[in-house]
Amino acid sequence: MRREGWNVGKMERVAGMVAVMLSIVPSFHLSAQHFAIGPQIAFGDYREISADLRYNGGGIAAKATVEWKKFSADVVLSKVKYKPDSHGTATTEFDASEVDVRLRYYITGPVSGELGFINRKADPEFEAQSVGAITAGAQMAYVLGPGVRMALRGGLLLGAKYSGGGTTSGLGALQLGLGLTVDALHGRVRVTGDYGFQRFSRKTDDGSGPLPAPIQQSLGRIGFAVVF
Amino acid sequence: MRRSTWLLLVIPLIFPPALAAQTVQNATLRRAQQAFDNLDYRQALTLGQASLRERLTGYERARAYELLGFTYSGMDSILKAVDAFKQVVLIEPERDLDPNRTSPKALSAFQVALTQILVIRQLRVDSVEFIGGQGAVGIRYTVTQPSRVVTRITGGGGTLGSMRIDSTVANGQVNIRWPARVASGDPVPAGNYNVVVEATVGQNSFSTSQPIRVTHGAVDTVAHLTSLPGYTYLPETEVPPKSWRPMGLALVYTGIALAGTSALSNGNLGSASLREGSAIGGGIVLAGFIMTLKKPAPQPARGNILYNSLLREQIARRNTEIAQENTRRRQQVALTVVPLPRTGGGR
Repeated sequence: MRREGWNVGKMERVAGMVAVMLSIVPSFHLSAQHFAIGPQIAFGDYREISADLRYNGGGIAAKATVEWKKFSADVVLSKVKYKPDSHGTATTEFDASEVDVRLRYYITGPVSGELGFINRKADPEFEAQSVGAITAGAQMAYVLGPGVRMALRGGLLLGAKYSGGGTTSGLGALQLGLGLTVDALHGRVRVTGDYGFQRFSRKTDDGSGPLPAPIQQSLGRIGFAVVF
Repeated sequence: MRRSTWLLLVIPLIFPPALAAQTVQNATLRRAQQAFDNLDYRQALTLGQASLRERLTGYERARAYELLGFTYSGMDSILKAVDAFKQVVLIEPERDLDPNRTSPKALSAFQVALTQILVIRQLRVDSVEFIGGQGAVGIRYTVTQPSRVVTRITGGGGTLGSMRIDSTVANGQVNIRWPARVASGDPVPAGNYNVVVEATVGQNSFSTSQPIRVTHGAVDTVAHLTSLPGYTYLPETEVPPKSWRPMGLALVYTGIALAGTSALSNGNLGSASLREGSAIGGGIVLAGFIMTLKKPAPQPARGNILYNSLLREQIARRNTEIAQENTRRRQQVALTVVPLPRTGGGR
């Protein structure tokens, strides 16, 4: 279990470095219609089980976006160091490394359908729950003006698995997101801002009946991306 | 003195060319004219008849008979006046009296004279230009008695010979249209022609002619169109009016995100943190506000694009028709028909 977690963390670090390197090589060409990749600063709020077990912190992230015809995909890697909140009872900080992959298909008007997965690892692993789930939802995008786009997305987190065990009902895990991209330097660079909210209505059962052990995270990311 | 007599006296005084032109050289005729002007009809009659026994030009002879006609009319000798006017018309078939300057008696006698002889008067050929096969030359004449009238075209350097273009029994004014084509349907060759009109009744016949010139030219082609008159291309993009829609939508999206965060937040975990959502949502609202103030980007104007497409299609279609029309016109010939001055009267 420990070894598995270390392997995932290392993979994410490598992927993040690759993403950052790609972002500083603007002459790199891809066959896709549009490709953008760039670093972000992440800041978030994490809560688990009760209002007393709460953390907030910051970190880094990288986001890559590919657009091809009606398809588009987002890959977000983030690592946030969560520290115990002064108003809570938590005492130990931990790192949350998250992979968020979303494949999107344009449907009509502003609406696109989304399918993907998330995987968040906590390190040390017993300080918080590591979680993985399949995501399914929709996105509404709107062009505010030339080169300025915003998007609102929401969906379900299906089949959630937790490192500490527990289950979630079909509609018990939800996510909500808000995004903004602003083209700069004649479209060569994009300023990006993303907000993501996740809620898992997790329940555990130690033999005495189901007990609520919810997990909730709000994560904001601000950065830029180089467009190829 | 009767009113008609007064007219006979006054009109020549006011309009001397009506009776005595300056080209009258014969002394006797001039004395006769002077006697008529002095209302000495007997003297005018004697001198007029005497002048006819002398050597006169055609013009002078016509003037002599005309003077006799007026004199007989003034003396109420209508039959003799008619005879005199018949001689005038035979010498100058185109001669006409101005009803405003001539006494009714003389006019009446002149009209009677016209009906008693067969002449073709006022043969006119219109000056016209048209595309061969698509027009016609107007020809008019007046025949003074009911008769068989044949109209022919002669000349053209012998290539045409004599071509009958009309044959009819007519009295009075006749209008005919000649398409200027030979029997094969081709336009008549360029050249000088004569329009000959022959009238026959019993033993009497009269013919007159009008020379014309036919020239060939190229038919003008039509220039291709670059635009349709009255229709101009419209701009295919248009700047939409400024709108608060970006700001409104930014507020709505941000509101949904923040309200959703609060609503979806688990009650066991306390009030949700809106710090992250507010930071990103604030950026979106700011962007929406800026976009609201900014001049909107031009948007494709679907109606104008469709209109321009239709206009281009219409011009292309019209140009195709023009090209076909020009191809046809290059195979055509423009005929110009011009009447030439006549050299003599009919007979």
